[in-house]
Amino acid sequence: MTPKNNIVIGIIVGLVIIASYNVEANPLEFAEGLPNLGIVLEEILVLENIIDNMKYVPTALWAMLETLQMAFIGTVIGVVIGLPFSMLAARNLNNKFIYAPIRALLAIIRTFPSILWAMLFVIVVGLGPFAGVLAIILYTIGFVTKLQYESIETIDSDPMDAVSSIGVSKFQLIRYVVIPESASHLLGQMLYMFDYNVRQSTILGIVGAGGIGFFVVQYIKFFEYGKVAVFMFVVLMVVLGIDWASVKIRDKYIIKSQHGVEVLAK
Amino acid sequence: MKQIQMIKNPPFSLISTNKIIQMSDVSTSYDSRNFALEKINLSIDRGTNYAIVGQSGSGKSTLLKLMNGMMIPSNGTIKIDYITPNMNNKKFKKMMHTIGYIPQSLGLVKNITVLDNILIGALPRLNKIQSFFKKFPEHEITEAKRIISLVGLTGKENRKAYMLSGGEKRRVAIARALMQKPTILLADEIVSELDHVTAKEIMNLVADAQKRMNLTAIMVHHDMQLALEYANRVAVIKEGHKILEIGVEGDTIVDFQTGDLNTEEIMGMYADDTKK
Repeated sequence: MTPKNNIVIGIIVGLVIIASYNVEANPLEFAEGLPNLGIVLEEILVLENIIDNMKYVPTALWAMLETLQMAFIGTVIGVVIGLPFSMLAARNLNNKFIYAPIRALLAIIRTFPSILWAMLFVIVVGLGPFAGVLAIILYTIGFVTKLQYESIETIDSDPMDAVSSIGVSKFQLIRYVVIPESASHLLGQMLYMFDYNVRQSTILGIVGAGGIGFFVVQYIKFFEYGKVAVFMFVVLMVVLGIDWASVKIRDKYIIKSQHGVEVLAK
Repeated sequence: MKQIQMIKNPPFSLISTNKIIQMSDVSTSYDSRNFALEKINLSIDRGTNYAIVGQSGSGKSTLLKLMNGMMIPSNGTIKIDYITPNMNNKKFKKMMHTIGYIPQSLGLVKNITVLDNILIGALPRLNKIQSFFKKFPEHEITEAKRIISLVGLTGKENRKAYMLSGGEKRRVAIARALMQKPTILLADEIVSELDHVTAKEIMNLVADAQKRMNLTAIMVHHDMQLALEYANRVAVIKEGHKILEIGVEGDTIVDFQTGDLNTEEIMGMYADDTKK
């Protein structure tokens, strides 16, 4: 370990201590508060309470379905709107007078998390899932566009040069080279975004933008942790299911086209 | 190896005034210090099978890129059918579809099928709506299938490009260029890295298409023997300079290089270089 490294580590440790003091992060307080979690778990894990709370499973599933629909609509519409923007933001397809302002706009959209956009849309369209959908669409545009223009910029320049030399239009180049060559990335990004948006949609209810989060917040307010646990369990199961499906879809449609090999269906 | 007889005065059959490509004192560089090509003069007749031979880094690929407008010379003039090749030149843009270009990397779109790759050659003939909906007219699809048969890929129309062998990929790249209905074919070392038998098959394929369509084929090689076997004319490029230009007719080689250069000596030196 060089003296220079010691100084860097010392500075980082010092900054962590200062920041912890500023945000009143006290490990002792955490240790003292841990038994409170035990009380909550005790309430949740009592068999009688579990049986009693099971009657909320249909409501939780229905709310989760609403959340999934919000995420699905938001992802699909966000990607559809974002795709043309990603073509305009790619440096290998445009000059800086086109890609620079588009990138700036997208950076502004990404600056705010979807929950802040949801608050804004609650003001515009009122409480309910529609505000959440609008927030997800906007955030997806900002995020997926960045992922997509970055993957467009990594496309092999050889087919682009070869096809450009035929005298095709910019639109034809995009339609016949850029989209096929980046399609596997786009599918992967859509899956990632859907996965991300499902998780995001579960908390948008906090600001009244619909979905399962709305119920969770209401039950937490009234200290009904048993019901919260049922809803959280449903979220966990659905997110794990989406993860599993994503892996299967990636194996079947993405890996082989990115690596030029066939992946045998398991 | 071809036995050659060298003469100084070209026979009438090798003299033509029907020039399709003319380069005059062309120089170009990738940076401000070193020239990739320096003071190149070339004059290529319509319908010629022209070969450019040189070692790696000699500037032969750059020469092709200048001909199809992908690069612009820093000095000198280039005319392709009396039009300056430059992608920003509207007149040249209109004639780009008549120049089939096969880069060394082949430039295939790997995630689409053989048929779709070949149909790309027909794109300049499609309108915007047909392009958007990928709706190729029936006669274009028929033509693509005819070319697929010509290059020996029948039965592999629906294979994705990434699933093909090296030789098959080259056939697709040639087919895409032929689909353009070109008058000029530029091919950059398309048989390098191939075994001898496959290389000959590919070269025969191009030579056959060149004769059948009366193409002006300009092919880059690093193998002098291959060039002498197929080309009517051969230019040798070394370190950015054209050091030799010869005409080939049967077993006769005609020296077109003016100056004090000794052609036999240079060819001998070059043959030695390529063996290393």
